Amino acid sequence: MSTSPILVVEHLETHFPIRRGLMRRPVGAVRAVDGVSFALAKGRTLGIVGESGCGKTTVGRSVLRLVEPTGGRVVFAGQDVRQTRGGALRSLRRRMQIVFQDPYGSLNPRMTVRAILEEGLVIHRLGDATARLARMRQALEHTGLAAAALDKYPHEFSGGQRQRIAIARALVLEPELLVLDEPISALDVSIQAQVLNLLVELRDRLGLTYLFISHDLSAVEHVADDVAVMYLGRIVEQAAAGRLCAAPLHPYTLALFSAVPAVDPRRRRKRIVLPGDVPSPVNPPAGCRFHPRCPLAERVCREVDPAATRVAGHLVHCHVAARELERAGGDARAAGSRMADALASAPDIYSLVAPQSVASAPAP
Amino acid sequence: MTPLLEIKNLVTAFHTPGGRVPAVDGVSLSIERGSTLGLVGESGCGKSVTAMSILRLVAAPGVIESGQILLARDGGADDLVRLPEPALRKVRGGRVGMIFQEPMTSLNPVFTIGDQVAEVVRLHRGASREAARARALEMLRLVRLADPERRLDEYPHQLSGGMRQRVMIAMALACEPDLVIADEPTTALDVTIQAQVLDLLADLRRRLGTAILLITHDLGVVAETCDEVAVMYAGRIVERASAATLFARPLHPYTIGLLAARPDPEARADATGRRPPLRTIPGMVPPPQQFPPGCRFHPRCAAARTGAAAAPHDCAAVVPALREVEPGHFVACHYPGESGLAAEPRA
Repeated sequence: MSTSPILVVEHLETHFPIRRGLMRRPVGAVRAVDGVSFALAKGRTLGIVGESGCGKTTVGRSVLRLVEPTGGRVVFAGQDVRQTRGGALRSLRRRMQIVFQDPYGSLNPRMTVRAILEEGLVIHRLGDATARLARMRQALEHTGLAAAALDKYPHEFSGGQRQRIAIARALVLEPELLVLDEPISALDVSIQAQVLNLLVELRDRLGLTYLFISHDLSAVEHVADDVAVMYLGRIVEQAAAGRLCAAPLHPYTLALFSAVPAVDPRRRRKRIVLPGDVPSPVNPPAGCRFHPRCPLAERVCREVDPAATRVAGHLVHCHVAARELERAGGDARAAGSRMADALASAPDIYSLVAPQSVASAPAP
Repeated sequence: MTPLLEIKNLVTAFHTPGGRVPAVDGVSLSIERGSTLGLVGESGCGKSVTAMSILRLVAAPGVIESGQILLARDGGADDLVRLPEPALRKVRGGRVGMIFQEPMTSLNPVFTIGDQVAEVVRLHRGASREAARARALEMLRLVRLADPERRLDEYPHQLSGGMRQRVMIAMALACEPDLVIADEPTTALDVTIQAQVLDLLADLRRRLGTAILLITHDLGVVAETCDEVAVMYAGRIVERASAATLFARPLHPYTIGLLAARPDPEARADATGRRPPLRTIPGMVPPPQQFPPGCRFHPRCAAARTGAAAAPHDCAAVVPALREVEPGHFVACHYPGESGLAAEPRA
């Protein structure tokens, strides 16, 4: 806990320009990531959850500079990733690897597993032929695959095995940080548990640090030490995994948890159905970005971007939560459950109102 | 009372150059009027092929080889397997509606939303252009699409995923079908949008009395929306019961394993805040070319008894029949109730 963070992200911004016309002049920007900050200690796992389009994947890619951030700082092991160039960047990248969602799309079907695993070693000029083979065998062994896999092609493996190959490809470079971008979403239910167990075991055995990006709340809750909830390019709430799940505070987090269908009827939360869809990240709403869909939104929410409120390591960006926390004397559970009740009893939960018509609606 | 839909011993196989692949191998199901049956299973278990077989939409080289699919009508039932094609066309979109997983690819991108919903009504009801358009508007209101007058003249690409799925539901319900087949209707949607669509489906079922066959891999979705559940594995039904019974007392080792493999939010974290490893089902779902003999789950099942020591039943040799072990609870297992979990997660 007390170790200094291996990864620090400060006010990260990644905007994609929208170009129009003959001169391809930028006419606007998709603000995919718009001011994200977090710190991650060695050996820990930060889970990033959110729905499609919230920017969680772009955060992962920006950290590795697979997409170029447009603002903010990313510091990995004391080095400013955005200021690093050439050979120094390459050696940084060896230490930060990524596993993608779709093991069908992320492995080249024309390459053998040997070629897939060796490519990184060649690029980073690591070891001679013997040493490389030893590293490849070890990476396969770590992921529970036989060395005989080396001479096979991806199509000879099932989805779960392919994801193990993708993990082995990352591990062969002996990285310190792994960005796991929806690593189990494409897998069958009975295989997901196998891969989750493997990831946890590797983290603990090899001392890896994970940035675990997923829309699957229960998977994130299981793997992560800390969880950040993203909405429209921002982190809206962040806390230790157990704390966030026991006492969520942001209305969006509350809705997200309540929307997950539960097998156990006792675990079922009062459903909070949010109106409408996520607005476009090209023109994020003024004030709190969640206000057009928030049944609890007040005048201040439409006008003022909420600052962070902190209670015992729990961070939330919400005007209403800040007030409820104060009223409850800092008891997050009490404040959260009051908000959940208010949200679940909000009227007209079904109407799928277009965001613009909500924005122009009169204040209650 | 006769059920609305009764499937008896359905066998649907694909005749590929590599041989006959029995994707659905002797499935029997029934759905009562106005109720919701969840058909759950992992990819390749045959749940979608079962659904497609009902309306004979299985594409070549797939063939319905045997079985009956009885759809009740006034004073009798039609066997959809043998119904002539023109009569079957009236059933599709008429008495039986269908909702597919991917709303973008199942809507035609070059026609407006209004045209596509109206087409169903014109085709099945012979309604005039104006009447069909009015009905389309009414349906878009029913599925609570915002701003329905404007949406009528918009194209699918102008709508979000959740809105498109509402349009699909409007099309499926436009002719007031007795049954709606929903194949993974919310899988492509985000969880908050999924909640909207599931609530909508449940509400429409209550109001219109439509029965729903819900095909999904998500046990949570089934638990929250279905009356009855059938679990499929490798082309066969392995367990069937009411949702309340199945989730409270699963008996097939596969069902038990699936439920136990989900992360448990109440699992006790240790001092470092870490949770115990998940229980897993070893191995993987076999492809249909390699379905094992006997019980198809036995190679992955910790409770399986095989070989000389197997008594009274050899799981690797004898196919377990789907039998009723308590009222309304059917299991295809020689040793129901014994856990199919690996004793220890992989070290």
